[in-house]
Parts: sequence; structure tokens; C-alpha cells
Amino acid sequence: MKCEICHKADAETAIHKEDESGTQELYVCRKCAAAATVEATEKVAAKSPRDNEPSMPPLPLMGMILDAAFEIVGRALSMSDQSCPTCGITHNEYRKRSRLGCPTCYETFAKELDSAIFDLHRTRQHVGKVPLRAQAELRRKNIEDALSEAIKGQHYEEAVTLRDRLRQLDAENDREEGGVSA
Amino acid sequence: MISDAEPVVSDQSERGESGDDIAISCRVRLARNLAGEMFPDWAAETDRARVYNAVSKALKAVRPDMHVALVDGFNEQERDVLCESRLISKDLLGNPVGGGVALGAEKSYCVMINEEDHLRIQGFASGLDMHKAWCVADEMDTALERHLKYAWSPRLGYLTACPSNVGTGLRAGAMLHLMGLQLLGELDRVINALERLRLLVRGICGEGSEAAGQIFQISNMDTLGVDEALIVDRVQRICTEVVRQERNARARLLCELPLVLVDCLARSLSVLKNARLLSTAEALEFLSAIRLGAAMKLCTRLQVSDVDDLILAMQPGHLQKIRGVVMTSDERDEQRAVFLRRQMTGVRLKSTKV
Repeated sequence: MKCEICHKADAETAIHKEDESGTQELYVCRKCAAAATVEATEKVAAKSPRDNEPSMPPLPLMGMILDAAFEIVGRALSMSDQSCPTCGITHNEYRKRSRLGCPTCYETFAKELDSAIFDLHRTRQHVGKVPLRAQAELRRKNIEDALSEAIKGQHYEEAVTLRDRLRQLDAENDREEGGVSA
Repeated sequence: MISDAEPVVSDQSERGESGDDIAISCRVRLARNLAGEMFPDWAAETDRARVYNAVSKALKAVRPDMHVALVDGFNEQERDVLCESRLISKDLLGNPVGGGVALGAEKSYCVMINEEDHLRIQGFASGLDMHKAWCVADEMDTALERHLKYAWSPRLGYLTACPSNVGTGLRAGAMLHLMGLQLLGELDRVINALERLRLLVRGICGEGSEAAGQIFQISNMDTLGVDEALIVDRVQRICTEVVRQERNARARLLCELPLVLVDCLARSLSVLKNARLLSTAEALEFLSAIRLGAAMKLCTRLQVSDVDDLILAMQPGHLQKIRGVVMTSDERDEQRAVFLRRQMTGVRLKSTKV
């Protein structure tokens, strides 16, 4: 999204600006946000020039504070930008609780989780038990792959055999589907 | 020195092959989740209720004799009893909406529903028979997967709420009483070695708990990249070695530090026989010493299994169940002291030359 003030740079944050029509929320770039803040500060300073109030920090200092704040907010935004399409959990939320939101999070945060999983287990590949359903799915996929290869190579007799095996597998699966699948 | 006439370390036939005097029990836990469902920690109450219903339906289809119930259906005392018996965890009690427990008739297995993961399938065995515990859990898991679609990926295996359990989702742990090593001052060395071997060493109540009474849970750290049989076999082999070291430590204590050993037993027995107030932690410390004495045949009247029963019976939930009343913490401390004083009547240390 482009900055709603300069319409050139990418919007990085939201500011609230007051005008005659009331308070307006604008998505703006870092430069325009800083300028808007300075402008607002000057307005406030002009409106209330009372000596007994603590003075605002000088403008260069304000700029430094803003830069630091942008650094933090920018980092947080880039991390939290990514959320799981299934459960909506962001990576930051996962980090806070150390618990993922749903099985899809493993794909969504694959990049971030990869090194964490390697640090924990010193490997990235499962070895061991495969659920019966997954075994059937893997078997089916292997036959499907072989079938398309057979068709591509015009080995039609082999293709018919493979098609029959697929039908047989489906029939077996139908027989086994009597449970309470969640 | 302790009199030669006294049988000090029980022989193998009396002890049982699994070494129950040191290895109290073992457990294999499998973490499983349902495909397409949010993990319990993030799930809404309706999601958790849906998972509970699906899992309890599957459990009843697999084992009609199983008792499946929501944890919020239990009163506080019943929950404490389940927790103290190590059938359910404190985490399950912390978030009771949709949290459930399924208990087998013979209590060799138990399934927690909506704890950290949708299912925590647990197989138990007494002593150090990890293979038996694994078979129990594996059998239940295989039966359930015919009715439930698990979250699984070819690369990462069983997908769990916390990446530390991903892969096999298997945690194989043994509960060992290592008081001999502690008295000899060699416990830290053993624990360091276990940690270097990538084993987790935890207290009696699992993750985050202190090692009260020198009772430790030793379990595998890695759940990914090693198959189930190998994990179980490795933990069994290493724990067998720790049991051997503890047995050596007990034998060495008799030769090298008999005064320390007998002093520890005498003090513990004296407190248990005379205290008027005893907290759970204190009672566990003293009963742990008496357990060592019973295992080494240094106490009259008491078998190791008797002390194990007392360790369970003196805990808050069990104590209130035995007394049949709900008590405050102070009342429990008083009643615990009364209960243990009575149980220790007639128990004494066998004559020694120390």
C-alpha cells in the first residue's frame, strides 16, 4: 500500500490527523509520519506556550525517538505480517506462547521453524510410524504417478493394470471408512 | 559396619528382574492432533468441545470399557487424585474446557484429551519395562487412527502444538529413585552425563517440577529423526545403566559411608514417627529415605511397595480421599503426620554395628 500523503513510498504505519472534519486515520510512509508528528508538535507548542509545562524535546531529538520507534514497530510489523491462513496466528503470537495454532502453521512458518526444529532435534526428517491413512495416500500417489508415466509412454496394458489397482484401493478405503473421522 | 548377618541388599529373585526397588515405573506418551483442528491452546471453547466429542466417540468405539469424562466433571479432590497418580497432568487441569481423560479399566493406559495436544496417549508399566509401555500406547494409537484423521506430514511426521514433540510425538520416560547416588554425592555427575546423552531429567511431577525425594523422570529429548522402537530401546538401555549405577552406589554406601546411610535413615524414621505437622514435600523427603532403607532391607516390616503406597497416600488428594473429608493445607499437614506416625508404628532399623 502506498503512503496516503506523498503517494510515492510504501505505507509503513498509521497516524491520526486532525482537521476540520475530525480525526482521520492515514496509512503513511516513515518520512510523512515524521513530518506530520513535527507539524502536530509545533501546533501543540503554539497553542499552549505556558512556561510552567515541561518543554518538548528539541526537534532533532524527536526525530531520533521517532526513528527508534519506527525501528521497533517496523521489526514487529515485518514479523507479524505473516499469519497462518487457517488459524490466523502470527509468528509473534507463536513466539509468545511457544505453541503453534494449528497443523498448517508448520507450512506457514516453515522458514522460521526450520532452524528451531533443527536446533531441537538435530534433524529435519521424520523417521518412524506412518498413519494408516497416510500410508494409503502415499500408496495411491505412487500408483497415480506410475499411471501418468505409463500413459505418457503409451504403455496402455500397464496403465489398465494400474487403473484397476487404484479402483481396488478406493474400494478398500470405502470399506474401511466407517469411523468417526473428525 | 553393618552386621554381615543382616541381608542388606535384596537379591535379584526378590527384587524382580525389572529392578522395581530403583525403577518405580515407566511410561510412553504419544502426542497426536486431529487434522484441520486448531491446537488446544489456541482453540475456542466450541473447537475444543468438537475435538473432545470426536475423540471420545473414537475411544468408545475402540475400547467400549474405557471410562471417558470431562475433567470439569470431577471435583477438586478427584482431580488431585488423578494428578498425584500421574494419570493426568496439571496442564490439563489448567484449561479444563473440553479437557478430558479416558482411563482403561486396568490403568495400564490413559488418554488425555485437549491437553497441550488433542490427544496424549499414555501406556504405563511398573518397573523398567519400557517395551511393554510402548506396546500399550502403540496399540491404542493404531486402533484410534482408524477413526481419527491425524495431522501428519511426510517430512515432519506427527504435527504437535509444540515443535519439541514433532515427529514421533513420543516421550519414553522412567521414574527412578536415585537416593544412593545422591548420598554418595555422585548424582550431579550422572545427571550431567544423561543430559549430554540428550535425555531430559525432570522431577516427580514432570516438566518444570523439582526433583523431590530424589525421584527423577528420565526421558528422551529427541522426537524427530529416530524411530519409535529405537527411542524406546535407547531410553531403556540408558535407564538400565543408571539403575546399575544406583545399585552400585547403594552397595558402596554400605562399605564407604555406612554412618551417613544409617544416620539418614534413623533421622527420617524418627521424624516420621514423631512429627506433628508434615508438608507433602517434607514427607516425601523422609519417605524417600525409608524407601531406600526398605530396598536395602535395613528397615523392619516395610517392603518397597508399601513405601510407594505411602508416598501416594500421603499426597493431598489421596489423603483427603482416605479421610473422607475436604481439608485445608494446615489440616492436611496435621493429618499427614498422624497418618504417617500410625503407619510407622513398629517400624525400626535393623541392628547394625554402626
